[in-house]
Amino acid sequence: MRLRIRYTKLGRVRFISARDLSSVWERAIRRAKVPIAYSQGFTPHPKVSFPDALPVGYASTGEYAELTLASEIDPGLGLARLSAALPTGMDITTYLVVADGSPRLAKYLQATLWETAWPATTPDEAVDLADELRRRGDALLAAEAVEVVRHRPKGDKVLDVRPPLAAVAAAPAPADPGTPPNTTFATFRAVLRNDGPTIRPADLVVALDSLGDMPLPEPRLYTRVAQGRIVDDGILEAFTQQVQALDAGRQVEAA
Amino acid sequence: MCAAALTIPSHLDADLAAIRRPHDPQVPPSYWDVLEPVLPKVSQPAQYVGGEHNMSVTPWADARTRWLLCYPDTYAIGQPNQGIQILYELLNERATSLAERAYAPWFDLEEEMRARGIPTFSLEHHYPLWAFDVFGVTLPHELGHTNLLNLLDLGGVPIRTADRTLDHPIVLAGGHAAFNPEPLAPFLDAVVMGDGEEAVLEIDDVLATAKADRAAGRLTSRVQLLERLSGVTGVYVPSFYEPRYAPDGRLRATVATHPGTPPRVPKRTVQDLEDFPYPQKQIVPMTETVHERFSVEIFRGCTRGCRFCQAGMITRPVRERRPETIQKLVTEGVEDTGFEEVGLLSLSSADHADIGDIARNLADTYEGTTTSLSLPSTRVDAFNVTLSNELARNGRRTGLTFAPEAGSERMRAVINKMVSEEDMLRTAEIAFANGWRHVKMYFMVGLPTERDEDVEAIAHLGIKVYEIAQKHGRGNKATVSVGGFVPKPHTPFQWAAQDTPEEIQRKLDLVLEIIKPYKGLRLRTNDPQEGVIEGLLARGDRRVAPVVERAWRLGATFDGWHESDTLPHWHRAIADSGLSLDDLSHHERDEHEAFPWDHLDAGLDKQWLWDDWVDAIAEKPLDDCRWIPCYDCGVCPGLDIAHDTGYTNPETRGPTLPIFAGGPATGPLGGSPDLPTSAARLDGGA
Repeated sequence: MRLRIRYTKLGRVRFISARDLSSVWERAIRRAKVPIAYSQGFTPHPKVSFPDALPVGYASTGEYAELTLASEIDPGLGLARLSAALPTGMDITTYLVVADGSPRLAKYLQATLWETAWPATTPDEAVDLADELRRRGDALLAAEAVEVVRHRPKGDKVLDVRPPLAAVAAAPAPADPGTPPNTTFATFRAVLRNDGPTIRPADLVVALDSLGDMPLPEPRLYTRVAQGRIVDDGILEAFTQQVQALDAGRQVEAA
Repeated sequence: MCAAALTIPSHLDADLAAIRRPHDPQVPPSYWDVLEPVLPKVSQPAQYVGGEHNMSVTPWADARTRWLLCYPDTYAIGQPNQGIQILYELLNERATSLAERAYAPWFDLEEEMRARGIPTFSLEHHYPLWAFDVFGVTLPHELGHTNLLNLLDLGGVPIRTADRTLDHPIVLAGGHAAFNPEPLAPFLDAVVMGDGEEAVLEIDDVLATAKADRAAGRLTSRVQLLERLSGVTGVYVPSFYEPRYAPDGRLRATVATHPGTPPRVPKRTVQDLEDFPYPQKQIVPMTETVHERFSVEIFRGCTRGCRFCQAGMITRPVRERRPETIQKLVTEGVEDTGFEEVGLLSLSSADHADIGDIARNLADTYEGTTTSLSLPSTRVDAFNVTLSNELARNGRRTGLTFAPEAGSERMRAVINKMVSEEDMLRTAEIAFANGWRHVKMYFMVGLPTERDEDVEAIAHLGIKVYEIAQKHGRGNKATVSVGGFVPKPHTPFQWAAQDTPEEIQRKLDLVLEIIKPYKGLRLRTNDPQEGVIEGLLARGDRRVAPVVERAWRLGATFDGWHESDTLPHWHRAIADSGLSLDDLSHHERDEHEAFPWDHLDAGLDKQWLWDDWVDAIAEKPLDDCRWIPCYDCGVCPGLDIAHDTGYTNPETRGPTLPIFAGGPATGPLGGSPDLPTSAARLDGGA
């Protein structure tokens, strides 16, 4: 039995690295008594996989995992147990039972909606910052290429952030639900195609910073909002087939 | 939780609001919101966030006494520590206490903390150190001393006890290195000698009463609080004692100078481990640590009598946990934590009287699963291989570790590690024949009476084992690991001179030279310089304390980490102090020379230690007192433990230990050459 899971990574668990994620899941799976299948061979490994790594510190409401089980279970009950066994901030939101031989999960995750949030001291400040972000975002979209330098321990790397960029939006809005209450934010959302070189929202912030006179303040939080297929006004989420709107403000109105 | 809460005496159920310390913050500030934006910039941020499975979260206002328990090293090293986890669980089971955890921040985070004014914090609520009643620090070895000072300083607590008031936490140390706390004397308010389980709960009671008395105006000074703490058996308050020096500068004695203080502080001994089946709710880390497993201490103490081994000397006598308790702790713990590895811990786990049954039952339980069992053991015998085969029933037979400790037969007689070369080679033969692919061997150089031929014998033994490895398969490996010996307090070798790092290096080079042609035989060594600080702090007296402070002020933290080159700081601090390493570490001590730890009683009779030291030099070995008559090391009298080396239920105790309590026996003593050796006895049981 194969299960595909969508889950969150909010709050303290944001700091679990991609490297440590497997053991966190494997232990939760054993605590929840989910009959996970093991690989054959000299060192059997539980069959849990994650399609793509989230940078340490990033939040997400659109993480995915794939589990292969050794026996059939009632997925609703089993995954409720698993969700309870996962650390606080990691919650399973949806799942799909998939047949053997179905296309790889990554095939459905063609693009990602990212959100970057900046704290503001007043609502007015949030509006001003959002306006500035919108102007620079439009400039970014209008450019043919915008190169940024990513600093890494191994050495700097120059990246063009423009090719995977599909759409941008900025708004004064409350950000992810894991942040403290009474905080005003300005958010910048972007849809990035997952094919080609990996561009992260932090790279986009460097690009945005270079597109205006005033330096941007330091963002507080990066969030992977959803993954799926690009549609006109956002992302068609891979499991639910619901549209996750690019414009965070409009989504709040709809809700 | 409920069962334990019921056992709390009723006087502790008093109205919490009425007895809260007047200067208590209602709830201290949590530094999470300030810390969180910094975390993406530092390495392994998950170590600072808490939130692990089995973390215990008690609202601040619900507790009357609040402990911050600390292992003064990184989370990766400190989190698996059993001592901290035992006390964490014991204190949090109490309805009126809370315990949170802290570890040392790595350099990158410390820099951010100092820049932003973030104090040493707890993982549970990210509360600051300064808000707690107690800062309970384990000192498992000497290389955490500068980290302790750093954590205090970073935590808003004056590093010197003399500068603290009633509003500051009590700085309380424990652990093996606390058996000579003198190099930290000016910085520690109190020290628990020995087992912490009972002592910590008694200290918690004292603190609860003291806080109530303070609120009522009956306790007005920190000295009064320290007096009450020193009234708890096993608690040493360094500021109530003073060293006395002879005109030539030698220590004469450390004497109690405060009225009502005992001249010697005895260590605490939990007589029956069955009373404390902890830790049960073990923390499941969300980031890498050195031991990610469910660990059960299967016995405490060791009477093998290895003369270099401080742990074996200061944790006597042997107290075994019952097999059925071990089985229960493991099965429940594995289910609760989801760990895939089980560790059966002790100083020499194969020595448990029922280890054969324990191993077989656990192997049966986990047969066909992916749960693996491990057992650290220092024994070098065929039984150890049998046992390892059993424990590895599920999985791979990869590496086995043996600790002959010394290369030559003569040297092993000196250190009292009774294993012959024949045993070692036969054991290696059996191990490789049974499909094990890698044998690691631990050795030391710099041992008393050591000659170059003893050092060279390490290499020759390693080569012989390597040749056996190769005979059984070209891919098989052997590793020789050699460390420099550091003499430790409360051992027969406390009189020994420590080799200089240059001499240790010369000896390591001797080994290297001989094994160099054997490409598959690996040699692992540590930088001999590391032993210098360890040796200084292990046997230093109070004159070393300013050196510790100076080294820390010069920038020394994380001593012993390759990332942290603290030796220049230490050498400068030693030079500034006018002390000499030759005097402190590298000379042999006289029979009647006073030690800085003479007023701290680990139970061992100093005359016995001296006699054993003399025997060591005479190359006379001494057998384990589990199989021979009592030789009066001094530990058992006074304990209600009847020279017992089995678990304390007389019905289940084996009949093979006819050894009697209470000092010199009046009747015939038990023990005879016909008594089985441990290995034979255990083989019979397996």
